[in-house]
Amino acid sequence: MTKVEAVIQNSKLDAVKTALQEIGVEGMTVLEVRGHGRQKGHTEVYRGREYSVDLIPKTKLEMVLPDAIVEKAVQAILVSARTGKIGDGKIFLTRVDEAIRIRNEERGEGAL
Amino acid sequence: MTAASSLIGELRSFLAEESARIAHDFSRTADGRVAVSQRTRLVEEILQRSWHELVSAETAGPCGFALVATGGFGRGWLFPYSDIDILFLHADRGSEESHKDSVRQLSQELWDLKLKLSPASRTLAECERFDPENTEFTISLLDSRYLAGDRDLVARLRDQLIPRLVARQAKPLLQGLAEVTRERHAKFGDTVFHLEPNLKEAPGGLRDCNVAGWLALISSMSKLGDWPAANSLRGPVRKQLEAAVEFLMAARCFLHVRHGRDDNSLSWEAQDEAAARRIGVPQHEPLTAADWMRVYFGHARAVQRAVAQLLEEIPEAWSSIRSQVRNWRSRPSSPDFSVVDGMIFLQRSSSLQDPEMLLRLFHFMAHHGLKLSATTEHSLEQALPALAVAPPRGAELWLYLQETLLQPHAPEALRAMHSLRVLTLLLPELKAIDSLVVRDFYHRFTVDEHSILAIESLHRLNQSQSEWDRRYAELLSELEDPELLYLALLLHDTGKGVPSTNHVEASLEIAGHCLDRLDVEAEERSTVLFLIGNHLEMSANLRRDIFNPETVAAFAEKMGTPERLKMLCLLTYADIKAVNPEALTPWKAENVWQLYIGAANYLNRSADQRVHGDANGEKLARLRSLAPVLGAKYKEFVEGFPQRYLRVHSAEEILRHMEMADRLGRDAVQVDLRRGRHWYELTLVTRDRPSLFASLTGVLAAWGMNIVKANAFSNDAATVVDTIYFTDRFRTLELNLSEWERFKQSAVAVLAGSADLEKMLRDRQRGEKHARIKVVVETRIDFDDEASSTSTLLQVIAQDRPRLLHRITSCLSQQKCNIEIALIDTEGQMAIDTFYLTSEGKKLTAGHREKVAKALHADLRDLESGS
Repeated sequence: MTKVEAVIQNSKLDAVKTALQEIGVEGMTVLEVRGHGRQKGHTEVYRGREYSVDLIPKTKLEMVLPDAIVEKAVQAILVSARTGKIGDGKIFLTRVDEAIRIRNEERGEGAL
Repeated sequence: MTAASSLIGELRSFLAEESARIAHDFSRTADGRVAVSQRTRLVEEILQRSWHELVSAETAGPCGFALVATGGFGRGWLFPYSDIDILFLHADRGSEESHKDSVRQLSQELWDLKLKLSPASRTLAECERFDPENTEFTISLLDSRYLAGDRDLVARLRDQLIPRLVARQAKPLLQGLAEVTRERHAKFGDTVFHLEPNLKEAPGGLRDCNVAGWLALISSMSKLGDWPAANSLRGPVRKQLEAAVEFLMAARCFLHVRHGRDDNSLSWEAQDEAAARRIGVPQHEPLTAADWMRVYFGHARAVQRAVAQLLEEIPEAWSSIRSQVRNWRSRPSSPDFSVVDGMIFLQRSSSLQDPEMLLRLFHFMAHHGLKLSATTEHSLEQALPALAVAPPRGAELWLYLQETLLQPHAPEALRAMHSLRVLTLLLPELKAIDSLVVRDFYHRFTVDEHSILAIESLHRLNQSQSEWDRRYAELLSELEDPELLYLALLLHDTGKGVPSTNHVEASLEIAGHCLDRLDVEAEERSTVLFLIGNHLEMSANLRRDIFNPETVAAFAEKMGTPERLKMLCLLTYADIKAVNPEALTPWKAENVWQLYIGAANYLNRSADQRVHGDANGEKLARLRSLAPVLGAKYKEFVEGFPQRYLRVHSAEEILRHMEMADRLGRDAVQVDLRRGRHWYELTLVTRDRPSLFASLTGVLAAWGMNIVKANAFSNDAATVVDTIYFTDRFRTLELNLSEWERFKQSAVAVLAGSADLEKMLRDRQRGEKHARIKVVVETRIDFDDEASSTSTLLQVIAQDRPRLLHRITSCLSQQKCNIEIALIDTEGQMAIDTFYLTSEGKKLTAGHREKVAKALHADLRDLESGS
């Protein structure tokens, strides 16, 4: 089982969700986050005052998937989230030791 | 098998059988009160039998030791899974010692039976001691009841000890109870209107029913020195509470049986089932979950009002703030209303026959933040049927409503009006969303409560310390017509009360009816409908890239004017804040703000997009209807004006400008002066020429006027329309009617070149004092050569002072800059002036810009130092 974490542009959330649903990913967690990589922040001057945003609002998706579909999911995210510009985001994969369903204590890939 | 263990076995099966029977009966009859008293008797029997077995076989023994039911159990209200409150009462310490073992055995056995005991152990003397940190224990004694053991002991508790204790400690008891209640209410947002309410703890729930009883009981007991003979609550309040208790009992039993534990949350699924089984309303026709919830809310409201009433009427229960207020000298006075002990009374009880009195009453409430007395509420309820036949409507209603919405305590007044059914009388459009539960995972409150809460969020901005809130508070203070924003908030979700695919469309339609009924003027109506129609627009944009110039441009264009942009920004803030307390995360607040400033800057930088050919259809139609002949020349007149001109001025104003332009043949300088809502308005229509704007601002400076906002535009035919909004610092116009004419003549003379502006300015200067500077604003001069294709943008930010604008515009004139467009605004003590400049028909060169910047800095420094 692999945890897939993806930080993406806010405007791409709907596209990525749809793409993942199409390949059969049934559950995910969505978080509103702020951060930056190499993308520079944004400064706007309003009425003589500067309003700087160096932690840019982004959307983060987290899901734990059976190894069999991890690569498909990664491709789906890459294709739907890409704009080609700096600030598109990143995907991280980590191994997961165990998954347990709270309702009936089912374990393993069946719990995903 | 020992006697004890065979008893346990017997009791266990007895408990199981009887509990099943009670549950079965309840599922048939849905009668909560019966189920609750049956369970009480069941547990009583078990406790008594255990006592006889393990503690003492004597009928009323042992001496000096007794078992007492307290709290809900004492009251006879034992719900299927609620805790069982008991008290082991000892005559003295000795008894406590000698019975230690039997108490332990008894508790053990009862635990083994899976009965959730909540036991306390006290001596009689300890009961008499009052601990302000533990008012709950003393209150639970009020419901105490003999179960087993020494009867005399319990009699002493009830007949002597408790009345004495209450008489002595009524004040702290009431204060403690009131405080705990208020805290609990605050945890639930001080409202009954939750989408998934907690029947026990939420305002208007069972706990509040008990609180009402306790407040009344303690109050009477302390006056009588003994238990009162009859129920301390009276008349209609008592009836309402009893009806509410019946309903809530049934609902809570239902929830306990359904969940199999002490879960008092009315989840959506539970609401569905309760409605299907008609819990609490057995005689009713089949009803939907939403209807069933309305019944619940009706009861909850009544309970909440009863508790609020008691908290107001019992002086000891007043919050500490209220007690202080009572001691203040100033008393709000009015010929219609009197204020006694912080509550509003009518001077003449029959006066509510007059619908206008009703409106004045609520305005008074909203202004002073006071509550209505019980008598006043009663009079109101009596007057409602007559008022319903001929409710107030039209411009008068709108006038009062506007004023009420702007008052500092408007949300409290609105809630009071709503709970007394007056709000839906005045605005029937709100009936559909009254207590409406709409199921989605974000909203915490019913639709009507959400709308009022949104209005409250804006009112609260001024008191907030948070950095975010202060930014939004500044925006709010700049609005010209905040009452339109409040009205839009009140109506924006009315569409959720009718079946439709798109609640925004539905809300627009409903709001349209409301605005018609209130006789709202065309421009104001258009603004309210704009806000309602676009109320989801900013949230939708948060899902896009808010730093992308195209996204920002598209959004800004939709907004059209800075005023509308501000209003929508605040509406979005309020809407999100009122969804649930955590909804406006810093992430959202930051994004909304960034989008706002991006759009605001865009509007400033794009003001020179001109009108060509395709004029705004709606305005054209309106103009034609106002003046068919002149209106037809609209296209000609408007050609070449920036879009901003069309958006900022109403059709009526544009018509006025056209009429003035038409008269230019006779008088080359047309000047119009009038009093607007917030400021005076001076409009100039004339042919363009150099230094025009500088001269105009000079006239105002010479007359001691303070310019707050201004717009300067010109069209293709070189006709200039300058509008200046100003305040009259020395009240010249206010105090002398004749000065109006003189002022206008003076302006015409200066602009025609026949008066000496410099002399006028010098004369004025002699009498001037400098205003106190509260916030120091640093001067900033910024050029932007990219924003416009034809002009160079200049933004000047400086300390607002008399003559500031005249200084800047004269300087620009001297530097040979032509002002194509001017957008002048003031924010507190900060002046924000934007100019679109050209020189010889083209943008300014880099060298020219530098010269201008230097000159401006120098001039502004001079102004600062007083020369």
